[in-house]
Amino acid sequence: MSYREVFVFPNNGQDRIVEAFVGEYASGKSEAAINRALELFSAGQSVTLVDLDTVEPFYTIRPLKEALIAKGLNVISFSRSDSFGLGETGAMLHPQARWTLMHEGSLIIDVGYGVHGIRTLNLIEGAYESPELEIVAVINSCRPMTNSVSKIVDYIKELGRIDAIVANAHLGDETTVKDVINGNMIITRAADILNIPVKYAGVDEKLRDEISKIDLSWRIKYFTRYMPQAMW
Amino acid sequence: MEKIVEGSTRAFLTGNETIAWASLVAGAEFMFGYPITPQNEIMHYWTRLAPKYGRGFLQTEDEISAGFTVCGAVQGGKKAFTATAGPGNVLMQEPFGMAEAMRLPMVAIIQQRGGPSSGTVIYSQQEVNLTTFGGNGEGYRIVYSTASHQELYDYTIKAFNTAWTYRFPTFILGDGYQAKMREPLELYDPQEKGITLAESFPLVGLPGVIGENRQPQHLNNIYSLEEELYEKVMTFSAVFEKISPEIVEYEEDSCEGADIILISHGVVSRAARDAMLILRSQGIKAGYFRPVTLRPFPDEALKKVILQSNAKKALIAESSYGQLTRLIKQSIYGETINIDTLYKPGVGIVDYDIINKVKSIL
Repeated sequence: MSYREVFVFPNNGQDRIVEAFVGEYASGKSEAAINRALELFSAGQSVTLVDLDTVEPFYTIRPLKEALIAKGLNVISFSRSDSFGLGETGAMLHPQARWTLMHEGSLIIDVGYGVHGIRTLNLIEGAYESPELEIVAVINSCRPMTNSVSKIVDYIKELGRIDAIVANAHLGDETTVKDVINGNMIITRAADILNIPVKYAGVDEKLRDEISKIDLSWRIKYFTRYMPQAMW
Repeated sequence: MEKIVEGSTRAFLTGNETIAWASLVAGAEFMFGYPITPQNEIMHYWTRLAPKYGRGFLQTEDEISAGFTVCGAVQGGKKAFTATAGPGNVLMQEPFGMAEAMRLPMVAIIQQRGGPSSGTVIYSQQEVNLTTFGGNGEGYRIVYSTASHQELYDYTIKAFNTAWTYRFPTFILGDGYQAKMREPLELYDPQEKGITLAESFPLVGLPGVIGENRQPQHLNNIYSLEEELYEKVMTFSAVFEKISPEIVEYEEDSCEGADIILISHGVVSRAARDAMLILRSQGIKAGYFRPVTLRPFPDEALKKVILQSNAKKALIAESSYGQLTRLIKQSIYGETINIDTLYKPGVGIVDYDIINKVKSIL
């Protein structure tokens, strides 16, 4: 009996979104995941945001959990208080995360970093069999390992299955319009070589005025940055 | 082979990744390591980068071996380093001591986590005692306490130069927050910036024949007689004291005429500098002092700052329970300035923690 015969993944007859964001540390995958989840929520969907970073769970969306729930998201993640007293075993997978696909509504999964990060998707029951799941690589060309077309191509090939790319060229608080334009051009060229679609370019909300005046060929989504609040 | 860093470029990295890149451009040839949070990604990134640039890595069976293999590699003339934290730093004290005894140019990155024991994997400034004076000797070590990703990059490059210039074990004392934070910084090729990279050289297996055309190279960490050791230790002390003025580094800002001097090190100094600026904007005359080298400690500089400031009070802020204070008190013995403290062992300190404390004591 196959897995799919045992479990039926509910989707209430609607087209729900199931996206897993993967990428390096400092690529912006958590920021992209949070922004995407909130975007879908604003559009009236029920959205579950899943923290699947099993590498360093102390530095992920955990500190933001309460704030994101207050904004209306369902968040599967340990909170700081859940981890209290657990010692290093506090770095375990949240049991609900294993059954992510069984949750109703749209699902946004923030996966741990790098090549090993993407493998953690196998912790989600049925992930690789799911026809709904879209694996999205978040690429920041302001990182030395992904700062040229050839490096990005090599990096994405290493990741294995990638269904789409979010171009997210940025330098944190220091990001300029030039970084966004030059960086995302590099990422787009790499995506063309790989024949993987670029879903959109993520741009810091602070640059909206400047960027919106420029005629760019790619779709833009403006990100509100939440992750700086996740430290301390 | 592909150039490691082309020109000067701004990049967005974690602190651990920054250290891996800095070690590459500094010419490090080998890393020996054993996993421990929060330094793991130094190893992760080094092992991803090293093969591309002909560098090596060995994961040893524990931290003791990681430290000793660095001791071995540097004797063979290789620029080698390790990275650890917390209990791993405890275990490495034995090889660090050997490096002191044999004057080995080893480099170690310490990303402090909470203690005692396994403590937390996250953050602290509780490895100051251990890193400066942790061995069974006199602490012949050079310790740079960094505060930002740019400093992690700059001082990691510098650490290799310091180690191979002075032949004392040299440490980068970071912490879990610096390890994990994401920050923009400038990556550069040090030689293009006019920084000369110190040459590495073998300490054993030297050319020539002992007794004919060269003296034996005695790299020794054990002696038969008390007097032999005494002579060695006294020589080390004299050398260390002589080179200390060339090595000490510190930052000072607005101490002249200040009513209170804020003293901190590492990542906490960022909060202290912000606190100083905010307090000044509110009419409170605060000054800022930060030792960059914790060993050797900028004794003379701090005494001079206190003397010239006329400040009656100093506030020491640290994410430990008095480890920095101990260094400072030892350093300024005889000064009559009142010392207040803000201790948050294993917990981060932000500007308003310091501002509130200052207002409560002034």
